[in-house]
Amino acid sequence: MMQGQKSIFSLPGKSVFLVAGILLILAIFPAFHLSGYTLRLMSMIFMWIALASCWNVMSGYTGYIDFGPVVYFGIGAYSTALLMSRGGMPFFLSIVISGVVAVLFAIPVGLPTLRLRGAYFAIATFAFAEAMKQVALEWDRVVGVHFLEGSHGITLPIGPSHQFFYYTFLVIMTVLFLTSYLIERSRMGYALKAIHEAEDAAELSGVNTLKIKVSAYAISAFFTGIIGGVDAYWLTYITPNDVFSIHITIQMVIMCLLGGMGTLLGPVVGASFLTLVSEPLWAKFPYDYLIIIGVIIVVVIVAMPRGIVGTLMERKRRGGGT
Amino acid sequence: MIAQSIITGLLLGGIYAAYSAGFSLIFGVMGVVNIAHGELVMLGAFTSYWLYTLGHIDPFLSIPFSAVSLFILGYMIQRFIINRVVDAPPIMSYICTFGIHLIIANLALRFWTADYRSITTPYCGSNLECAGMVLPYARLATFGMAILMIGGLYFLLTKTDIGRAIQATAQDREMARLMGVKANHVYAITFGLGAAITGVSGSLVSTYFVIYPQMGLSYTVTAFCVVVLGGMGYIPGALLGGLILGVLESLTATFWDAGMSSALTFFVLFLMLIFRPAGIMGKGVVE
Amino acid sequence: MEPNKRAILEGRSITKHFGALAALRGIDFSLYEGEILGLIGPNGSGKTTLFNVITGIYPPTKGSVFFEQRNISGLKPHKICQMGIAKTSQIVQPFTRMTVAENVLVGAMYGGRISQREAWEKTYEVLEFVHLDKLMNVSSGNISVPDRRRLELARALATSAKVILLDENMAGLTPNEIEEALNLLRVIRDQGITLMVVEHIMRAVMGISDRMIVFDYGEKIAEGTPGEIAENPRVIEAYLGEKYA
Repeated sequence: MMQGQKSIFSLPGKSVFLVAGILLILAIFPAFHLSGYTLRLMSMIFMWIALASCWNVMSGYTGYIDFGPVVYFGIGAYSTALLMSRGGMPFFLSIVISGVVAVLFAIPVGLPTLRLRGAYFAIATFAFAEAMKQVALEWDRVVGVHFLEGSHGITLPIGPSHQFFYYTFLVIMTVLFLTSYLIERSRMGYALKAIHEAEDAAELSGVNTLKIKVSAYAISAFFTGIIGGVDAYWLTYITPNDVFSIHITIQMVIMCLLGGMGTLLGPVVGASFLTLVSEPLWAKFPYDYLIIIGVIIVVVIVAMPRGIVGTLMERKRRGGGT
Repeated sequence: MIAQSIITGLLLGGIYAAYSAGFSLIFGVMGVVNIAHGELVMLGAFTSYWLYTLGHIDPFLSIPFSAVSLFILGYMIQRFIINRVVDAPPIMSYICTFGIHLIIANLALRFWTADYRSITTPYCGSNLECAGMVLPYARLATFGMAILMIGGLYFLLTKTDIGRAIQATAQDREMARLMGVKANHVYAITFGLGAAITGVSGSLVSTYFVIYPQMGLSYTVTAFCVVVLGGMGYIPGALLGGLILGVLESLTATFWDAGMSSALTFFVLFLMLIFRPAGIMGKGVVE
Repeated sequence: MEPNKRAILEGRSITKHFGALAALRGIDFSLYEGEILGLIGPNGSGKTTLFNVITGIYPPTKGSVFFEQRNISGLKPHKICQMGIAKTSQIVQPFTRMTVAENVLVGAMYGGRISQREAWEKTYEVLEFVHLDKLMNVSSGNISVPDRRRLELARALATSAKVILLDENMAGLTPNEIEEALNLLRVIRDQGITLMVVEHIMRAVMGISDRMIVFDYGEKIAEGTPGEIAENPRVIEAYLGEKYA
């Protein structure tokens, strides 16, 4: 291996063991007869780490701020709900199909919108997400069918134990972490960074920027769709306002931002921190909770715009390199 | 029937234009997408509400109060918070203003409760009836005020010194930055101005729309649409965009389905962004 | 250049309008393999626009660009780069938070369409060639102006380009640095790469070009050897007495 080169498999030796060790501990956690509450909390943390990672794969790496990722969550949730409750399909097959359905939407949406820059891309994705929510709410009534059930929502078959979802989310989170890691180390990782830093120069250097952007967008959508499907099964009942809610987008964005956009550990740190902090905050200050979150957001943006992990990495980069 | 729908749409559109102009101004000059925009409308509406309920001041007369208090609020927000992120990547300003949205909307919720409120003035039910159409006086008056306000803003931007300073800063942000302190002051004035206009439209809106702390977000969304249609940063475009959107929504609600009118708004917005981000007249700022 | 040699890059009647502004009006030019063609003209005469049309940043309003006898007008920039035309920009655009080596790597991998392993080898080659190898792992945001300019050039070279368009690659350099840069260009040309150079530093561009083209207000007003150009009255007029530096 030559100097400066990072192979796809190289990682400072101890990190691999650290990560594997943590995963092993998490895997045997439930064996300690933990309460349902703890299992649910852990599952939620895994889910949000996964969602924040999805947003990171797209917006963190490319810098294109997606304000509508929830649309794929909702599409995934509805796909799974319909496949399981109407089609009687098994869970794992349903969620994979849901991921594919999300990609089938993502590509035609991504191709035109990823030509837009900055604010316009953000607004376009937001508009699309809100439009789909309205469609989910109004489709049945306007078209005259009994399909999506509008605001009545759809009920899924009852799911198995907390442990089942714990492991499902753990696996998804791990897969996403691995995917992000592989992307970062691969050709595509360099292309993404180049697009983020100087898109025109990247294009002039031979990078098919549109294809790379759409690929990242589709990957993100795929996983977001799957997570939406799992969540639907977990909740057993979904409505458009729940699964197409802008609050989901907001959390994905904030968690990734807080941890550090465009970093591997950023979503992990951000999602864990915010979920763990939210629980007691929400319990103690149910009325002021959102105000506090708002203040946290403003303070982080002003004081630590690169997020926790990002700020640490930036210090390291500034320090070395001469 | 169609004429009534169109006129209603135009009246609605005028008010859309009024509260979107401020959004357009702020984006055009500073490149900031103000997600707390709707909260400025909300605060303007509540200012009028409280002045009416506690002081019996007619909403139209409360306009100076909204204008001044929101100007000050806008100035402060820009000076102390947004100023720090104006030069950072755009996402920072979106998230920052989003945080501000959360703070303001939920503080309002805390202090004023989620109850829906409205202002019932003695004249709010009276209508002008002409050519078989029913035109509420309150809406006609607010339409008139909205046009006056947009015209006034346009005049201010093009004919006065401060207006030209704002335009110059908008056109060459780099130069403005190099000029240091002065640019910050211009930005703060711009934000204050944008907030003031938006606050005034909140007062206008309070005469016939329902008022509650969470109302802001849907106004922000409509402002997006209006401004994209008319062209970001192009004030006369806000008027055009507002009128078009108003008529479109009105026609959709009358002839198709009221529920679909917001879905339509979003699809129109989406299509505009893809095919013509510079707005219908092509004069918008495209990054 | 032998008159019957075929052009590696050709522009036929290239016209480019931006709204009402005609930035280029019916430009015909030929770039022959292995030569260094200098392009000069007052500010705003369309030189950068021509480069942008050639590399596909915008399509020509009328007319076409031919590369190796194939019409490339309207193709996307990344495709044109992969085919063999690279460009350095007036305002350098390094991938700031990536190292010098990584910058060049992107060009090698994507412009050259080779695997990551091969691309690293190419990267080392190119960095050594332009004498940036010592700065390999330095963040590209932390290097000096002349180094940044060389990085732009290195990135272009890494794409295995057959033609490199240099847009004021020597702006802001000291006379010594300019000499070094010119020598580097000569070595690049000797490797078989064809160059088209836009420069305002007259002595530099006159010294290095085999042939020159002069633009004014979007039109080609003169063509010939540097000697011929220096004495062309239209050229002198276009510069309004701007001294031969």
